[in-house]
Amino acid sequence: MDSSPTEPSRRRLLSLAAAAGVATALGGLPAFTATAAPQRPANAPLSQGSSRDQLWWQAPADEHSMIEQGLPVGNGRLGALASNDPGRELLLITDATMWTGGLNDTLDADGQFPYGREDFGSFTLLGRLTVDIPDHDLSAVSGYRRTLDLAQGLVTTSYVRSGVTYRRQIFASRPDDAIVLHFTQSGGGRYTGSIALDGTHGETTRRTQSFGAAFPNGLRYGAAMTAYGSGGSVTVNGPRIDFAGCKDLTVVVSGGTNYAPDAVTHYRDPSLDPERLARTKVRDAATHSADTLLRTHAADHRALFEQLEISLGTSSAGQRSLDTWERIRARARDGEPDPELEAAYLQFGRYLMISGSRGSLPLNLQGLWLDGNDPDWMGDYHTDINIQMNYWMADRAGLSRCFDALTDYCLAQLPSWTALTRSLFNDPRNRYRNSTGKIAGWTVAISTNIHGGNGWWWHPAGNAWLCTTLWEHYEFTRSRSHLTRIYPLLKGACEFWEARLITTTLPGSSEEVLIADSDWSPEHGPLDAKGITYAQELVWALFDNYRAASAELKKDTAYAATIAGLQKRLYLPKVSPKTGWLEEWMSPNNLGETTHRHLSPLVGLFPGDRIRPDASTPPEIVEGATALLTARGMESFGWANAWRSLCWARLKNADKAYQLIVNNLRPSTGGGNGTAPNLFDIYQVEQGRGIFQIDANFGTPAAMIEMLLYSRPGHLELLPALPDAWAKSGSVTGVGARGGFVVDLRWRDGKPTEARIRSVGGRTTTVAYGDRSRTVTLKPGASVTLRDFAR
Amino acid sequence: MRSSSYAPTAPGRRTTRAVLVLALTAAMAATLPAAQAATPTATATADSEAVAGVAGVAAKPYMGWSSWSMQSSKYPGLNPDGDYSYLTEKNVLKQADALAAKLKPYGYEYVNLDAGWWRDQDWTPQFDQYARQKADLGRFPRGMKAVADHIHGKGLKAGIYLPVGLEKEAYGDGKIPIWNADDCTTADIVHGDLRTTNGWDSAYKLDYSNPCAQKYVDSQARLFADWGYDFLKLDGVGPGSGKSGDQYDNVADVAAWQRAIAATGRPIHLEISWSLDIGRVADWKKHSNGWRIDTDVECYCNTLVSWENSVDDRWDDAPGWTRHAGPGGWNDLDSLDVGNGQMDGLTKAERQSYATLWAIAKSPLYTGDDLTRLDSYGLSLLTNREVIALNQGGTPPARPVTPSDPQQVWAARNTDGSYTVALFNLADAPAAVTADWATLGFTGKAAVRDLWNHENLGTYRNKVTQALPAHGSRLFTVTPRGGALATTGYEAESSANTLSGNASVADCSACSEGRKVGNLYLGGTLRFNDVVVDRAGTYQVKVAYVSGDARSVDVSANGNGATRHKLPSTGDWGTAETVSVPVSLKAGANTITFDSGSGYAPDIDRIDVPKSS
Repeated sequence: MDSSPTEPSRRRLLSLAAAAGVATALGGLPAFTATAAPQRPANAPLSQGSSRDQLWWQAPADEHSMIEQGLPVGNGRLGALASNDPGRELLLITDATMWTGGLNDTLDADGQFPYGREDFGSFTLLGRLTVDIPDHDLSAVSGYRRTLDLAQGLVTTSYVRSGVTYRRQIFASRPDDAIVLHFTQSGGGRYTGSIALDGTHGETTRRTQSFGAAFPNGLRYGAAMTAYGSGGSVTVNGPRIDFAGCKDLTVVVSGGTNYAPDAVTHYRDPSLDPERLARTKVRDAATHSADTLLRTHAADHRALFEQLEISLGTSSAGQRSLDTWERIRARARDGEPDPELEAAYLQFGRYLMISGSRGSLPLNLQGLWLDGNDPDWMGDYHTDINIQMNYWMADRAGLSRCFDALTDYCLAQLPSWTALTRSLFNDPRNRYRNSTGKIAGWTVAISTNIHGGNGWWWHPAGNAWLCTTLWEHYEFTRSRSHLTRIYPLLKGACEFWEARLITTTLPGSSEEVLIADSDWSPEHGPLDAKGITYAQELVWALFDNYRAASAELKKDTAYAATIAGLQKRLYLPKVSPKTGWLEEWMSPNNLGETTHRHLSPLVGLFPGDRIRPDASTPPEIVEGATALLTARGMESFGWANAWRSLCWARLKNADKAYQLIVNNLRPSTGGGNGTAPNLFDIYQVEQGRGIFQIDANFGTPAAMIEMLLYSRPGHLELLPALPDAWAKSGSVTGVGARGGFVVDLRWRDGKPTEARIRSVGGRTTTVAYGDRSRTVTLKPGASVTLRDFAR
Repeated sequence: MRSSSYAPTAPGRRTTRAVLVLALTAAMAATLPAAQAATPTATATADSEAVAGVAGVAAKPYMGWSSWSMQSSKYPGLNPDGDYSYLTEKNVLKQADALAAKLKPYGYEYVNLDAGWWRDQDWTPQFDQYARQKADLGRFPRGMKAVADHIHGKGLKAGIYLPVGLEKEAYGDGKIPIWNADDCTTADIVHGDLRTTNGWDSAYKLDYSNPCAQKYVDSQARLFADWGYDFLKLDGVGPGSGKSGDQYDNVADVAAWQRAIAATGRPIHLEISWSLDIGRVADWKKHSNGWRIDTDVECYCNTLVSWENSVDDRWDDAPGWTRHAGPGGWNDLDSLDVGNGQMDGLTKAERQSYATLWAIAKSPLYTGDDLTRLDSYGLSLLTNREVIALNQGGTPPARPVTPSDPQQVWAARNTDGSYTVALFNLADAPAAVTADWATLGFTGKAAVRDLWNHENLGTYRNKVTQALPAHGSRLFTVTPRGGALATTGYEAESSANTLSGNASVADCSACSEGRKVGNLYLGGTLRFNDVVVDRAGTYQVKVAYVSGDARSVDVSANGNGATRHKLPSTGDWGTAETVSVPVSLKAGANTITFDSGSGYAPDIDRIDVPKSS
């Protein structure tokens, strides 16, 4: 057994960081920190908002079904699910960094990582806020309605009690770093009740209306609230706040942890007192009116939300008359496309990204939202599809800025991942260890936490997939600073594979190829297969990306040549003569589950694009990929359907791509796969039990956009897989395109009528529709509008 | 006719009412197509003329208090001396005093003792020298008359209880004489084989072929009349009470009690219990003033009741009985334990729903709560005058106008043209529930009054939607301002339809045009072809059907996704009822399919499709 210390020493981490060239990452953005007074836009108007960007319901959430019915708000770090019950508002509050567990660097007997809530850790709730208004029992109010305004980031509840209309707004402000609840009325009503803020880990709320504590892992956390109103009294009553006879009431809550994205400090900011900081935050916010706070928040939120607008057609008056949940059910029952609902589903994904991925950790399996402290799979970062899928939509949907949380995370973890790889990966008990005996660079396990640690089984190709995801962000944005930041990750992953690849001679030939060592194709089939397609494709893409990065940055030219040499010798998958499918295991046999959820061997079709349905790819490879995708079927979990849809979009099969989106829009009942009333995607873990897993909420919108625009550096294709349901007329603005462009697109009767190409760093690209193509060359910032595609 | 046996108190009572019903139905038919009578017609008006002969017994659902909920509960402190020990003179009088003080002004009048008044705290029974139950002096030191006297002194009425049959312990080797019956002994009143009867087999079955049996019942009734009791709950009655077959057929006992009560000359309300067989409802109606349709509402747990055990059963079980309720005899849903949330074991929403169903079903309203400990919300539920008026007034009982889905709507058409409309959300989470005016048979605007909250909510067009908490409800009076709904009818048996599987046309005297489609089971389907509407939309399609028990069916249009609906029981296989189901139709011709799926579906009589959505 390795006798390395349980935690890498600071010196060792620093040296690793220096070696990896990631010193710039250290001391990066703390998650919860004091900030300067926010910019308050002068006279920022509150937009009325388009009804197309508003979801609405006619009933509040059940306290025990918050994950399906609660409405999410979030400021990128601090989030909540709100019940919107008139008599008892409930907020389940989360902070992205609120994690148990630690470095988790003692391997189990099988050379893999422990995976429990104590050792690996789990995402957990920060607290719960309740506002009780006894007179407003749901049985006593009428005309109840709640609305989620995606454009403004605002949850509104309204109802009538005894002739008075009561209105409640809830939002999570990034500028003020707090969640705000604003209660108003018209008609002479008054609010009487009480407010309580409670922890969920046995904390005691103090007379300061705040609590604070620390986990055994040393993570300190805290939350605080305050309230103010007019026309009545707001009084502190021990840990609670009572209010009586108020014409209006504002409640402000904030909180966080002392997590710091810095391996050197073991991911803590020892100087930060979260409870105290939370008190400061709510006190500062409370010096402003709720209206001011809302305007500040809405301006901040809209700046991102308005980056993309989409219309997929017009829904019927009947469809528009239904609330969101009725509409979801009608869409499934009647089989009638509901283009506005489908567009709203896409915008909901964007709303979640804006709310859950800014200035802190990236979106985990549940994004930023929880209904308890025992999320399945710990609410962690799964590196074999889920975290990647969470970010497929960001650049495509005008939210490149939200992508940074993923980059920041990988950089902050890298020193620890590197140290753990070097000390533990070649443990003799690890079935996936390098048979070469060499070790270099870094990789991860299938699960990663926020403490630099891994969970469950080693996942050698996970490094490559993280890198290709980070690389694509560069392709979309052409951001040189981003490329500079991720370069050490790419290079470290290349070094890992340089040490790991093994040489084999293909049967019946003398051709020597490089293949990946023993591995598991996620998440089925043999545990020890060499040369799995998943790894071959990802490493091929990693090498390709690294070569481009090296050339762009003019760095490590010699090493890039080495990598190019390796890439040339990489084995690439063949089509099985037995099944006609692209092989998954370097075997003609189907060694796994035919309809398995993962599409690991198709990673070269999407998100990669080595396999293209054009002359660049041998037809038999495209056919083999198509046959495999067909065999995988059309019925799976939400994220698996989304991935399938993306693959079908790449294959320009609009009907199948669309059907998979429709499948994901099916209402989830009894825990079944599908969409919950709050539009969260539900994953059926077992009969009768569904959990929220957010990846499909991003993967599905990503597929919708991919159906409208295909891009790779130097080539754009308009409406590659436009389904009949959206064909009549539509438009989208702000779609990100690889190669460094943003595209606005209009279509009618299935054909593009206008495309505006704007460069955000790209220079020259072809723009194609069907078999027509033209080339445009732009300077960054310049744009061109193209018409007459259908001639 | 049975009238001879009933003559002393109710000459021709039922006959009179039946004629009245027919007359009203005919009047309705003149104004609305018969098939559009979506809601129960006003058959149960307070026809005082019809009930005058019984001195007002059960002219309206009775109101009061019963001891059993507290006796049966393990709620801390209620039964300190053992199970059922709550039943004592002291406790009953305390409750009587509380009833008089708090609830009597609202119409509550009966104070009913339940099982055990003749048993000591070890549940050992006591009988007099004539094999009649005798007060246990530990519980009732002054005997039963003193209790009734006290209750009467408060201006209230007193109720007592018996299990049906001759309790085994009263048999006394067959040698116990029967009071006022020369030469009759207990051996003469039961069957020679000492066959047992009632829901617990606690008694020997009485053999009325020997006149001594009636004499025994007469002797008990005489005793109750002499003590001054106004109400008798006869329990364990079958078929029902979990029993069936000749041995447990107690119809003759109920009839004997009816005769015995009549012979006393004292108007004593005769209530029978429990889970009575609906197949014998004609007998229950003939011989009693009310019948428990279900098992005990009590949970026999640490509270008085619980939602699942078994308050919520009533939504499924009441619909089949609805049309049998009326002056003289009512569907008894059991105790209404909504007075103290903690003791009741129910949420506020559940308590309101409980009270709503009892009120609109015209169930007797008797609470089993500790009346000395009503909480303010419980008191508000029990004393809401608008809701009580609904239960006690001339409006007919409501029944479902939508399927028995988790969100459901019940309604009754009132004599003044308004509707009683109750919204229920039986799901475990809040949900919106919509009452669509089309399900009530009219269209356009209507005024909505909220009875529980004493508020006019304003005018609603075509429907009202409200958010309801888990297990929640709303209770409205809806007054139409618009017109009748125009519909197009399609007969299930029409040759234009497509039947598959075992589905087949059958005769049905209760059905329109005398026929229906039945045998809809295990994949059998009925498809209406060519259902034409002018505009696309969601239509409330009224389904007339026959189903002796609650059955589910998948309803779909045009081959699209189906929605499974549970249709409430119509009570027997000879009665048609209607509910409306929402169906999305396109402009022009549509198909509507009723698919039994993997189960058994109701028989379908016809559908009526609104001309506009």
